[in-house]
Amino acid sequence: MELHKLLEGNKPILLDGGMGTMLQAKGLKPGEPPELAALTHPDWLLDIHRAYVQAGAQIISASTFGANREKLARTGKTVAEVVPPTVEIARRAAGDQALVALDLGPIGQLLEPTGTLHFEDAVNIFKEVVRAGVQAGADLIFIETMTDLQETRAAVLAAKECCNLPILASMTYEANGRTFLGCDVASCALTLEGLGVDAIGVNCSLGPGQMEPMALDFLKWSTLPVLIKPNAGLPDPETGGYDITPEEFAQSLARLVDAGVKLVGGCCGTTPEYIRLLAQAVSDRTVPNLPRTVPAAVCSGTQTVPIDRVRVIGERLNPTGKKRMKQALLDGDVDYMLDQALEQTGAGADILDVNVGLPGIDEGEIMVRVVKALQGVTDAPLQLDSTDPQVLERALRVYCGKAIVNSVNGEDGVLDAILPLVKKYGAAVVGLTLDQGGIPKSAQARFNIAQKILQKALSCGIRREDVYIDCLTLTVSAEQEGAVQTLEALGRVKEELGLKTVLGVSNISFGLPVRPVVNQNFLMMAMTRGLDLPIINPNIEAMMAAVRSYHLLMNIDKEAREFIAAYGMESSQPQRAAASASSTRSLAEVVEAGLRGEAGPAVDALLETTPPMEIIDGILIPALDRVGARFEAGKVFLPQLIQAAGAAQAAFEVLRTHLAKSDGESVSRGTIVIATVKGDVHDIGKNIVRVLLENYGYRVIDLGKDVEPAAVVRAAREHKAPLVGLSALMTTTLKSMEETVDLLHREGVPCKVMVGGAVLTPGYAKQIGADFYARDAKQSVDIAKEVIG
Amino acid sequence: MDINEILRYMGCPPEQAAPQTRTLAEQAAVQMEQTARPRSVFRESGLSITGDGVLLESGLLLPGRDLAQHLAGCDRAVMLAVTLSAQADTLIRRAESRDMALALALDCAAAALVEEVCDRLEGEIFAKYPGCYFPFRFSPGYGDLPLSVQSGLLALLDAPRKIGLCANENHILTPRKSVTALIGVSREPVGRAVRSCQSCPGREGCQYRKSGGHCGAS
Repeated sequence: MELHKLLEGNKPILLDGGMGTMLQAKGLKPGEPPELAALTHPDWLLDIHRAYVQAGAQIISASTFGANREKLARTGKTVAEVVPPTVEIARRAAGDQALVALDLGPIGQLLEPTGTLHFEDAVNIFKEVVRAGVQAGADLIFIETMTDLQETRAAVLAAKECCNLPILASMTYEANGRTFLGCDVASCALTLEGLGVDAIGVNCSLGPGQMEPMALDFLKWSTLPVLIKPNAGLPDPETGGYDITPEEFAQSLARLVDAGVKLVGGCCGTTPEYIRLLAQAVSDRTVPNLPRTVPAAVCSGTQTVPIDRVRVIGERLNPTGKKRMKQALLDGDVDYMLDQALEQTGAGADILDVNVGLPGIDEGEIMVRVVKALQGVTDAPLQLDSTDPQVLERALRVYCGKAIVNSVNGEDGVLDAILPLVKKYGAAVVGLTLDQGGIPKSAQARFNIAQKILQKALSCGIRREDVYIDCLTLTVSAEQEGAVQTLEALGRVKEELGLKTVLGVSNISFGLPVRPVVNQNFLMMAMTRGLDLPIINPNIEAMMAAVRSYHLLMNIDKEAREFIAAYGMESSQPQRAAASASSTRSLAEVVEAGLRGEAGPAVDALLETTPPMEIIDGILIPALDRVGARFEAGKVFLPQLIQAAGAAQAAFEVLRTHLAKSDGESVSRGTIVIATVKGDVHDIGKNIVRVLLENYGYRVIDLGKDVEPAAVVRAAREHKAPLVGLSALMTTTLKSMEETVDLLHREGVPCKVMVGGAVLTPGYAKQIGADFYARDAKQSVDIAKEVIG
Repeated sequence: MDINEILRYMGCPPEQAAPQTRTLAEQAAVQMEQTARPRSVFRESGLSITGDGVLLESGLLLPGRDLAQHLAGCDRAVMLAVTLSAQADTLIRRAESRDMALALALDCAAAALVEEVCDRLEGEIFAKYPGCYFPFRFSPGYGDLPLSVQSGLLALLDAPRKIGLCANENHILTPRKSVTALIGVSREPVGRAVRSCQSCPGREGCQYRKSGGHCGAS
């Protein structure tokens, strides 16, 4: 029996039922690790597996759900000791009647950004289990009860990278259609089908009735066989029993088979009796062969964006021509990138382009850092933008969802290097209509390149819906005939090839007056010709207005709801008036009152008459000092201190941009490296410290949270920082702090160390060799003044 | 939600809060309540008190003197776990890159909300034991009860699967805005002592204490 034959046929495939609840019924005690059953109660396991095979299960899952090294750690056993005998027992029970799945459940620790487990560590944890299971004779891999799409991806990649066995993947949902970590069915389906699993679906948590909408969604968002393994209804919190009878269970699942679900079985609370009746109920049924096409769409781990209307790709995360962004990349200032990202999604961007290519930085490393950080704060899918295949692969690996790769072009070398990555990680791809000969002038030649890219992509196994073509905007002031060619090519790619189209718009007006007018009109012309994905600056209102108007006029924005939501509110008028009326306040007053929104305009006004350093030394710092003194005197409190800092930060942002533009002196008084130590995820205190230090003109290299001691040493050296600040909130991570201080000393890094955090005391700070203990954020500034000046 | 409680967590005595600080706390409360997806799980366990600490019937030892003392007279305890979910963490993280004051307010709103959820759950639990008495809920990290018992408690509660709550290798709960605790159940009256900062290792630098409040966190 082979799984692929079963999957190709039109008969439903029977899976087994609950294992944990069966083991408990046999006498497994609460708290006793079920993953050790093969060692402690092999006869129980064999009985349960046999009962499922006799009931009609065609695939049984070995009891390896929690047999990974993290979960086994508390049992003192290893994967090598546990997995082989567990698979062998299932093998013995299966005989030639059933296939044996190596079962992979969650690791038991959350991955970044919610937890601290790194993606590659998760991949390696799963690989260890997969290798052991494959060697012991598993026929397939069953990844199940997942709540984190990223962890599911890690398991799929682990399986793909160490064996050729088929993969079933299933996540567990709440009744609202999302997992605990917020993953919806569409995002799961797009991502996992992209990664090349063989069947996909949902198990545990819910009964068959509540699972129906999710099963139907999987049918809609994937072309793969769909599996469901519901619980025997909902658990009774008093008795732990479940509320659906085997008969009801079988009838519900039989109806779902009629709707197109191919693999059926049970999870918690189901027994061989449930599977026996289920086998009877579906034995004479066939799974209807429904026409299933999944529309073009991209997704993050929590949000799917179908390309079924104009979707805006925000272009701002790109250093080209942006000095402030360049500086942020050089400083590793990821927060600046996050701020720019959130500003764009706030303005209406659906997807964010991410380009961190800059001479003098490790593009791959920064790309990974920025992609991870972005996924921690935004639901928007990302377009990964690099010319370097290695950078793209690193980004694709950590990207949770279905990304867009930007870009390939008609050159064979580029196509051969990048398309296999697009396929492996299940991304969509932008094809630029240029090749080794440059950008062809004629629409026909660009169309030909688009055709070539499409053919290559299809031959790599990439589906047509995932190929987006960019017909390239040329500057109209240089080549006036170019715009027409671009639009002509775009229209033909859309009409004749049926592909989605993408276009960077703003180049069109370079060198012309009233650029926004030209850009807006070109965008409108392109949308009318079928542009799906304009790459624009969404913060420019005229551009978003064009997109909204297009949707309104094309009857896509039904009843003009979105248009009215964007422009129908009259309250925006008085707001503007209020902002201008209050601009009479001085910068010092603005900072002391913590009025962030007014700080930028106040600085702009001052810059006309006052040099930047004078604004900093003469106005900003004294204002902050006054707030700091009132804070120490107990007259104002932490929120006001932070609000003042926020206003000063906004003022500094304007000054930095001003200085970056004029290539003038730096505003930095000296560099401070700060980090929340390895293992700790509580970093709000450190972030408050950062804002305050920046306000006093220090350049802060913020390494984030969960930072390795070696990374602190590296950064302190690289940036020649005279001061390093470390934070830890928990007693359990104080040892990481000690290790970090110790490593800085042993490596002879010439810096002072200040430490802070809720559980620290001055005594402990001294004991671990720190030079300073900072009671609060304000004191960290005093320490910086003492060390650096 | 109790805005004064959020203000105290923010390090600001409620009666001295500036209007804009109060508004900030109110905004944070609304956003956090809309975003968090509180989930909880609890389970009763028999227990015995030994020389090493409290031994749960599953065999899990909760070491140290303080919990043993605290549960004197209790033959059972209810273990509980509460989380506000990863979505609460994301909301705070999002604010941290743009507006630290809002981030602080959200962080504190989450701390207040998770306590409120615990209080409500506690009410449900009390109702299941008519005629019984309960010392206050005791969390890992209080007194000398080490955080390292987190993963054992979570496993007993099946919390990773049931509510998506895990602990990392340093025994920190993730998602972050989460609580685990034990509530002793006694047939005889017990002093329901108020949780105190006396035994907290973080008391020296504690922001909450400064403003006359209490962290509520484990």
